[in-house]
Amino acid sequence: MSEQPERPRRSATATGPGRILIAVYAIFALSATARAAVQIAGKFSEAPVAYLLSGLAGVVYILATIGLAGRKPGYRRLAWAAVVFELVGVLVIGTLTVFDTGDFPDDTVWSVYGRGYGFIPLILPFVGLWWLRHTRARH
Amino acid sequence: MIGALEVVAYVAAAAVALYGVLTTVRNRPPDRTHRIAVGAFEGILLIQAVIAAVRVFGGVSLPEQSTFLIYLLVSVCVMPIGLQFATAEPTRWGGTVIAVAAIGTGVAVWRLHGLWAAGGV
Repeated sequence: MSEQPERPRRSATATGPGRILIAVYAIFALSATARAAVQIAGKFSEAPVAYLLSGLAGVVYILATIGLAGRKPGYRRLAWAAVVFELVGVLVIGTLTVFDTGDFPDDTVWSVYGRGYGFIPLILPFVGLWWLRHTRARH
Repeated sequence: MIGALEVVAYVAAAAVALYGVLTTVRNRPPDRTHRIAVGAFEGILLIQAVIAAVRVFGGVSLPEQSTFLIYLLVSVCVMPIGLQFATAEPTRWGGTVIAVAAIGTGVAVWRLHGLWAAGGV
């Protein structure tokens, strides 16, 4: 990738207020991954689906954090993919857990649209998509 | 956990978070005051972590001991990393990055409280 001085920082997601977003994503990456690690290591057989989902959510937050923090085009694509996946995840898991709690004996980050985390998991992907759109290069 | 120290930790978290947001509003990058405030908060967290770890390894048994120890580690790691990230790009937004780290740390302390209380100590 060659330098493009005509729009140097215009398209960077890791600058200005974007750093607040990265900080929030990093905290969710840390807490979701740590929680899933404890669940999978300690009591996996109790609720394998929920714990695997916890782990998947943790990985998605890690990828979104890396994608938003990186400055090359590949990172931006990674961020788009991770944030869209996150949005679909929180909507699908949120809806499933609202209508049928039976299949989810233990909470995940995305259960009931992230109620256990102050609904931040529901708001975060919308902010992420807005920021990715807001910072994209203009031609 | 350790009643008084925990309250001090919440007050410090709130103070650091408010000061961080304030400097964002006032369009100031993080400065020496932020470092001192984060340092003081981190000192409280370290004292709390050492006391709690000593008590856990000294015989206090908790239902979710490994989870408790992970949260204890998280509670002391977030502020230094957050401060580093906030000051790496010295703009007005650094203060809010510190605020996010302080709120996250406050939540970790709250989770520690719940895990400790579950042990009935």
